[in-house]
Amino acid sequence: MKRIGIDVGGTFTDVVLVDEAGRVHTAKVPTTPHNRVIGALNGFRRILAIAGCGAAEIGFIGHGSTMATNMVVERTGARTALVTTQGFRDVLELRRIARHDRADLYDLQFDNPDPLVPRRWRHEVAERMDWRGQVDTPLDEAALHAIADRIAESPVEAVAIAFLHAAANPAHERRAADILAQRLPGHFISASHEVNPEVGEYERTSTTVMNAMLGPLCARYIAALQDGLRQEGFAGELLFMGSNGGLADAALVAARPVLLLESGPAGGVSAAIRLGDRHGWPDAILGDMGGTTFDVSLVRGSRAELRSQVLLHSYAVRAPSIDIESIGAGGGSIAWVDAGGGVRIGPQSAGADPGPACYGRGGTRPTVTDCNLLLGYIDPDTFLDGGFKLDRAAAQRAVELHLAQPLGLDTLAAAHAVRAVANALMAQAIRLMTVERGHDPRGFDYLCFGGAGPVHALDLARSLEMARVLVPPVPGLFSALGMVLADRQADLQAAVDRPLSACDGTELEARYAEMEGAARGRLPADAAQSIRRRADCRYAGQPDSIMVDVVDCAPVAIRAAFEAAHRHLWNFTKPDQPVLLNNIRVEARAATGWRGALRFAKGDPAPAPSRTRRVQFGGGQDTARDLPVWRRDDLPEGHRVEGPAVIEEASSSLTLGPGDVARIEAGGVLAITLAVEPRPAPRLEEALA
Amino acid sequence: MMDIVTYEILRSSLFATAREMKLAMMRTAGSPIVHSGGDASAAVFDAEMQLVAQGNDIPTMLGSAVISTRASVEAIGRDRLRRGDVIVSNDVYLGGGNHQPDVQFTRPVFLDGEIIAFVMTRGHWSDIGGQLPGSYTTLTWDVFAEGIRIPPVLLYRDDRPVEDLVTLILQNTRDPAVRLLDMQAQYAGCVVGDRRIAEIARRYGKEALAAAMRRALDHSERLMRAALRAIPDGVYEAEDAIEPVTGPAGWSREPVPIRVKITKQGDGIHFDYAGSGTQARGGINCPFSVTCNSTWFTVKAITDVTIPINQGCYRPVTISAPEGSILNCTFPAPVVAGNTETSPRIIDLLLKALSAAVPERVVGQSNCGAFSGVFGGMDPDAARVATTGRRFVGMIDPHAGGMGARATKDGVNGVRVYVGNAGSSAVEIIEQTSPVRVEEWSLVPDTGGAGTWRGGLTSRRVYRVAYDEATFTVCGERGIHPPLGQFGGAAGATFRCEVTRDSQVTQVPAKGGHEIVHAGDRVMLQPAGSGGYGDPAGRDRVRLRDDLLDGYVSPEALTRDYGLSGEAAAALLADLPHG
Repeated sequence: MKRIGIDVGGTFTDVVLVDEAGRVHTAKVPTTPHNRVIGALNGFRRILAIAGCGAAEIGFIGHGSTMATNMVVERTGARTALVTTQGFRDVLELRRIARHDRADLYDLQFDNPDPLVPRRWRHEVAERMDWRGQVDTPLDEAALHAIADRIAESPVEAVAIAFLHAAANPAHERRAADILAQRLPGHFISASHEVNPEVGEYERTSTTVMNAMLGPLCARYIAALQDGLRQEGFAGELLFMGSNGGLADAALVAARPVLLLESGPAGGVSAAIRLGDRHGWPDAILGDMGGTTFDVSLVRGSRAELRSQVLLHSYAVRAPSIDIESIGAGGGSIAWVDAGGGVRIGPQSAGADPGPACYGRGGTRPTVTDCNLLLGYIDPDTFLDGGFKLDRAAAQRAVELHLAQPLGLDTLAAAHAVRAVANALMAQAIRLMTVERGHDPRGFDYLCFGGAGPVHALDLARSLEMARVLVPPVPGLFSALGMVLADRQADLQAAVDRPLSACDGTELEARYAEMEGAARGRLPADAAQSIRRRADCRYAGQPDSIMVDVVDCAPVAIRAAFEAAHRHLWNFTKPDQPVLLNNIRVEARAATGWRGALRFAKGDPAPAPSRTRRVQFGGGQDTARDLPVWRRDDLPEGHRVEGPAVIEEASSSLTLGPGDVARIEAGGVLAITLAVEPRPAPRLEEALA
Repeated sequence: MMDIVTYEILRSSLFATAREMKLAMMRTAGSPIVHSGGDASAAVFDAEMQLVAQGNDIPTMLGSAVISTRASVEAIGRDRLRRGDVIVSNDVYLGGGNHQPDVQFTRPVFLDGEIIAFVMTRGHWSDIGGQLPGSYTTLTWDVFAEGIRIPPVLLYRDDRPVEDLVTLILQNTRDPAVRLLDMQAQYAGCVVGDRRIAEIARRYGKEALAAAMRRALDHSERLMRAALRAIPDGVYEAEDAIEPVTGPAGWSREPVPIRVKITKQGDGIHFDYAGSGTQARGGINCPFSVTCNSTWFTVKAITDVTIPINQGCYRPVTISAPEGSILNCTFPAPVVAGNTETSPRIIDLLLKALSAAVPERVVGQSNCGAFSGVFGGMDPDAARVATTGRRFVGMIDPHAGGMGARATKDGVNGVRVYVGNAGSSAVEIIEQTSPVRVEEWSLVPDTGGAGTWRGGLTSRRVYRVAYDEATFTVCGERGIHPPLGQFGGAAGATFRCEVTRDSQVTQVPAKGGHEIVHAGDRVMLQPAGSGGYGDPAGRDRVRLRDDLLDGYVSPEALTRDYGLSGEAAAALLADLPHG
């Protein structure tokens, strides 16, 4: 069976096809923002044409999209009502009362984002559980019926229900959901204990509301995509990429669309895990540089680092997600000079339209990409395989006018300064993801993807003293490749909220087993399944919990696992303090992703550089070198290229410095060993000891 | 001159260092308030003790660090400092602090036997001793009642803690085990900063580092001067009054005036607080560092918030305040709420004065409160104690009020304003860990002042006490003086606090409120709202209608606050859908 991965991005829809022999075909088509299904179907037809096969031969499609995230950011989700416990309808708006976007605490003109549900559609009903989950005030069903009447009269399509302490006892929420479902047929109804059974009313409410507002539209998108593909003759399985890095079927995603939030980068991470696992690099820092952002994530021991909560556009979302730091330093980010003569990048971005000045689509402000072009890190003639000619003169004009003149430098020096500032910003984001989370970047490989990823990768790795850079095959379509490589996954969680000392190991074992049964039931039985048990624990009194793996359900074993994680993260333990078990989690995975070898262009047995390109290593003219340019597709497995040199491919370009050595590894991965020897430095614990 | 690339790299490394110090502190902290990132800060200073880089931390902690860092170093003597030293201090009079609960650690960074920088961490310790649990009451006679006074002294020498001193400090707080973790956290932050700065200096050279620090300061100064030049020259004045603490019989009940005369000329600006009243009884006084910090915050907020923040921003700003006044108090005046309640009032005063100069950048007055109510007592619920591990439960809950309306938009509902930014705890977590039940947390209609742009609403929290017996101390603001509007905008609601016991309601004053509460009592706490901006009659009808639909404004307010005729109000109400 042939497999297809489709990644619907903001500008391009990337499509990758892997056939039975592991041969990889790729296509890029424009995204159609008004109706993204059209672009996805265009991509589907294009890849079939490229690969020369029919729709009926495709057994599987993995689909990823930034659609759900965009709906929240652009506030285009369905109109939604919220029903809460009496006295608490404003929790959604009050959030945690702090200015969550701490970007500028001195700003008097800041805005909180609009509440996801306007206050007029937030309803309260008398009911109350106490913190132990015992009924304090029964649910006022008559009042709930009156609320149903009001909702029916209002123009909302979805209803979220979030009662206090529903994670401790969901009985009232369940009853309310039943009544509302009965009274409001056709409305998408979402109760907090189903979406996020976890303590913390603001985060749970916010997550449930997002799930509700995404529900109707995601269901329509999924149906339209399924119909469209069926009409094209596709009869295989269609799965969707979730924020946890696993694929899920249409029914699950339609019920829990919140799982799609922040799933954009998940495809790349899944691809990295699979390749790393297969080719022996289990620990990698992932840098994805696209047009508007630079996203950093981490893979340790061939597993993605996860977090259970994300702040999306300053709204809280709780769903297991790949831990990602994102900064506004992409290729399209605009560089400018402030009134004091300092070079700044972003937050404005030229985006895809008009794009960098060199795109020749009317952009006049200089971007990072324009600077890379002038410095020779990008070739104007071979960008996207020559399919998209870049306008060097336009880049030159933009840099000259907006950077070089105000700085009193020549254009190359100005462009170099921008590149250096961009590198410094990206290095900071990597530091955040590693050093600030207790990891030493020097123990990792640096894996770069996204169109602009390889263009900066070597400088970044060098500045963080990392020894090796990996460029995967098709770095510009890596996420789409991930849709083919990823496994199916089902996550479940349940609230416990008791001291570990009061938990019984046998009882926990039984609860885990029950959840595992339910999770396995959501996965195909014919694929090899694996289970990961986890638990959220915290010391009593701490505001946040830590997610740890559970191998043994004995409370002492869980405590030991928690304390090891706590020591790693915070450098201390409190042996006398009670540990609370907040949640238990099960992650079930079915090995459905492509596991065979990937085969790309074979390469030339005796490759040679095709031409030379002038690259500027520093700010001055004397730092320019004419470098041989190698086509990556020409390089056979095992071939070595010694720097300084350029290696370019359809979606990106890489510049080796003197002493750097690149080698084509198994699976088509380009591995670069950097010239600089890393020197060891003591870790924090050693310094404190 | 240093090339721009090296400069930008060094500048961003300094910023990254401050961030990393803060993270290291949070990674190690025991006190929930520091651990969750709410109330801690870190900064890097050059060898001349000028603040060159800070994270996105609590503004109130950072401005005053400009003064306290110099005070710390001078108290010990620069020549006596050596590698591995950490100076601790919290005292406003002996160490230039902002108030006693904020404890600063200062560490010199050495390279080749020479001081090349200083790094500092600051954390709000949730108990520092003093009169009442939580160390947060204004009912204090002098600074001694506000907690242990720590002058600048060496807490670490050669990277070893001075044990006797550590013990002495810890045993003067109500939860020494947690305080020890706070200490370790702040020390870790300093060590990380020291290592990072030394690393940068070794890599680029200490001369390059010093040059980059100088240039960063000059750069921000240049940007600030350019921004100040754009403000019309002139003299701008305003006055207001700080509410007195409701203390024992005999304490003055008179409001204390605060006055400012701002002289903006060219690229400089001077703030003269002459005419402000004498320092008061109770912890509402500001040491000079707090007055400076409030002033600096305002200057940054009304000029260009994107200017990279460091001490260079403050160079064009001069400040004078009469000694012994509420804005430059002298020993032994108590100060605890000067930093959190009086400080935002100074900012409101300055915005009022500056409304003539930069009408489009000022905002209606705001709630100006911080941690409005603190419970302290023994938890009677054995089951809960088993899960929390603590018998004595101090419940400190930051509260949210209104932020004033702006020239082109409404104010912000239920938020922390200006120099503070600690977040609130989840209601479910409060109930899991404290013997109180939260019965309501909601926005309060009509508490945002009417205006062309409406002030932000405040929020109300209602607690049912489940302690057998507890102290309840209130430290609020604007219980008497409502937050005023700008340019004809109306005032917002005042602070309110009530304790209801057997259907008997006791009003608790904002300043110095102190009740003993028992199981079953209800406590209602509602910070002030905020002021509107522009004539209420100019309010867009669609916005007014939306406010009615959303219940931010009540039907009664249409005629009362927005001046609609009876018919116009009736027409607007008749037009509302029922949904």
